[in-house]
Amino acid sequence: MTTASTTGIREGYEEKYGFHDTEQHVFKSRRGLSREIVQEISEMKGEPLWMRDYRLKALEIFEKKPMPTWGGNVQEIDFQNIYYYVKPTSEEAKSWEDVPADMKRTFDRLGIPEAEQKFLAGVGAQYDSEVVYHKIKESLEKQGVIFLSCDHALKEHEELFKQYFGTVIPSTDNKFAALNSAVWSGGSFIYVPKGVHVDVPLQAYFRINTKDMGQFERTLIIVDEGAYVHYVEGCTAPTYSSDSLHSAVVEIIVKAGARCRYTTIQNWSNNVYNLVTKRAVAYRDATMEWVDGNLGSKLTMKYPSVYMMEPGAHGEILSIAFAGKGQHQDAGGKVVHAAPHTTSKIISKSISKDGGRAGYRGLVKVAKGATDCKSTVNCDALLLDEQSRSDTYPYMEIEEDRVSIGHEATVSKIGDEQLFYLQSRGIDKEEAAAMIVSGFIEPIVKELPMEYAVEMNRLIQLQMEGSVG
Amino acid sequence: MTTAELKTPTGFDVEWAARAEALAARSGEPAWALERRRAAAAIAGSLSFPSREHELWRRTDFRTLETEIEKLDPCTESPAARTLDDLPTAIRSWIGDHDASALVVQRDAGVVFERVPASLARQGVIACSMGRALRDHAGKLTGTLGALLEPDYDWYVAIGAALRTGGAFVYVPEGVEAAAPVRLFHWIDGGGRLSVPRSVVVLGRGAKATVVEELLSETADGISFYGGGTEVYLGEESKLIYGTLQDWGRNVYHYSNQRARLDRGAELQWIQTVLGGRMAKCNSYFNLAGPGSQAYVHGFMFGDQRQHFHLHTLQRHLVDHTTSDLLIKGCLKDRARSIYQGLIQVSEGAQRTDAYQANRNLLLSDTARADSIPGLEILANDVRCTHGATIGHVDPEQMYYLMARGLPRMEAQRLIVEGFFAPVLDRIPLENVREQLRQVIQHKIG
Repeated sequence: MTTASTTGIREGYEEKYGFHDTEQHVFKSRRGLSREIVQEISEMKGEPLWMRDYRLKALEIFEKKPMPTWGGNVQEIDFQNIYYYVKPTSEEAKSWEDVPADMKRTFDRLGIPEAEQKFLAGVGAQYDSEVVYHKIKESLEKQGVIFLSCDHALKEHEELFKQYFGTVIPSTDNKFAALNSAVWSGGSFIYVPKGVHVDVPLQAYFRINTKDMGQFERTLIIVDEGAYVHYVEGCTAPTYSSDSLHSAVVEIIVKAGARCRYTTIQNWSNNVYNLVTKRAVAYRDATMEWVDGNLGSKLTMKYPSVYMMEPGAHGEILSIAFAGKGQHQDAGGKVVHAAPHTTSKIISKSISKDGGRAGYRGLVKVAKGATDCKSTVNCDALLLDEQSRSDTYPYMEIEEDRVSIGHEATVSKIGDEQLFYLQSRGIDKEEAAAMIVSGFIEPIVKELPMEYAVEMNRLIQLQMEGSVG
Repeated sequence: MTTAELKTPTGFDVEWAARAEALAARSGEPAWALERRRAAAAIAGSLSFPSREHELWRRTDFRTLETEIEKLDPCTESPAARTLDDLPTAIRSWIGDHDASALVVQRDAGVVFERVPASLARQGVIACSMGRALRDHAGKLTGTLGALLEPDYDWYVAIGAALRTGGAFVYVPEGVEAAAPVRLFHWIDGGGRLSVPRSVVVLGRGAKATVVEELLSETADGISFYGGGTEVYLGEESKLIYGTLQDWGRNVYHYSNQRARLDRGAELQWIQTVLGGRMAKCNSYFNLAGPGSQAYVHGFMFGDQRQHFHLHTLQRHLVDHTTSDLLIKGCLKDRARSIYQGLIQVSEGAQRTDAYQANRNLLLSDTARADSIPGLEILANDVRCTHGATIGHVDPEQMYYLMARGLPRMEAQRLIVEGFFAPVLDRIPLENVREQLRQVIQHKIG
């Protein structure tokens, strides 16, 4: 079932997530990217013409845009060696029993049905290119909450979909957003009607199974006036010796007085390039919160952003990045104050270990006319050994005088005194170090739903194993 | 490729370089230095204007200068001054009445006045024009001129190394505590000038000195360009206070590159102020190359009207047990814009680094703009590196407090701005210079 990996993976990952199923798909595109492939994807999905044209136009943009030369090393990505579309099953299952046995086994092992029973209002699971399972609590459905895969939403709610799709992140935004726009498949579509408060989180789980696979899910969330939703996503992949590409686009619209929280626990295997564009627009008195945990992947370049479009909007980004051996986490966030009386807060915690490189790259922008804005940024980095590296690149662009903008960052190691204190109380060094790291990220972990907080702490402990000699 | 990259300004600089070389050869520059000019000219020919895609050029657009630069004259010579009275009045007032410093005064392309007080001469302190130093002290320059500021850094630095006009050389021998400060002046006489001096400051082991560099001119018609470079070498256990103050007229484009290297136990107090010019871009790099070395950097920028300032600092911790502490303040009014781009780099193995970087910005108008980009790149773990940046406006409560005590609004604002600059101003070594700067600031507040 599991393959022995040639890449250096994080301890514990192989046993828990590193397995992969025998590939059983009903359709797999040829390797590589071309107009024909894009047309084929669109045809397979039976999409309306406008979407096909949108994809083809995005492909042209992708081909024209240069690769980014900053951030991490993306030059090794071979776009022609990737499978852009792998359809694992013919139908999206409505009940857990209908999910094909091998996939069910995968998600069983990852604990999806368990989680669903326990505390989730709805759950979606994506396997390679397609969402294979989707379910939402009946009570929510009755209130008009839509939680579907993006493909289904396009079929069932075309008008609503078309109204918002690509409005927050146009395909011209960056090279990888263009790529996603051309070959997107799967992802979640959520619509929360006016005033509806979704008490328990909606969850999606993303899994890459096929070797050399590219996953390009597209998520679109619309939180109507005064509504609330918390969306949680998790990601894993098997450990192959060649690299995979995950390039998602997430668009969120938070209308007046609404609140949206989007939590990610990214735990891809160490051979996934994770190049994701996430952006939210928040209107009058709306609140958008990103909770972004990056533990896995070979390279992550992800800067969730909040554009505050009307007075009273608030944006918050909590980011944890943990880079182990061979990993580069270029995480961060962007807040754009486009209206007066808007506020934002960014807290970033990064940890580097075993030669890993973790960093914060962020932007605080106050546009002309956006007076009386307030923004604070706090970045803390912890370096666990001499080989590791930490970077902080905060950008502040301020075009108004009546504002208050602050940025603070610190980089340090685990304090010898802290270690000594714990050890003198009989805790062994390794455990003590793990404790200190847990304490370091505590301000963010406490924002996670309990089950995720537990999982997060466990993942950190796994990462920490054997870290103190 | 941007259009800027396509426009390779080769051709005309060859003619420039030939003129500059002929001028240098006439003044008796040694063959090795002439050879370095030719090498730099060849590098300049292979480069083009910095691309606007480049991280350090994305926010500062020198296009107006670049379209005019061909027409500028790099070799305008001014007559030598026999006494202080032959110098422009503005310089005389900055020098002050009872000044006992060593002086090296450059006007346009050449140094026109040099004075070393007997007390310094007795100590073996050298303070002279770069031209004289190349003739008389070549042995002290072969390993220092162009060693920290390499000509292939960018096109501007390359033409600077090829055309080099003027500049100063300061040398304080081992164990000597210089009896008087050294002041380096640079004056530009009008529009159409291109001035690219290169200066070198060397402190021997255990030496102590104060050097102040003052760049001044009156606003004139037509663009002028200053592209100066300074290399500062601090020997083991030496101590240097270095002030670099700029108040150009509004026709001057300024692009300076200053580098300092600190050996074991050396201490540098660096003060940098940016007040004048149409656009000013300053790159100040501090290489902490010996254990125990310490760099303290204080600076401010004060822009008004449409001034554009861009200060880039680099605190490079190359070895273990080094300290750096930096505070840059920016104040902007009208439509002025400032960019502070700072980076702390900690090399692999540079354990026990203690680095701090702070940037504080005060915006006085809603059309001013301040960008702050403080960065950290840390490759060692046993370090303490922090930075902070703030951007804000004049606190209404402070204004209210002062106005409630009968101060008119402008007066209250002036006090607050002065208070904002005070921590940096107080570090400027010479009382007369502090006073001059205070006046410039007051004048700018209006």
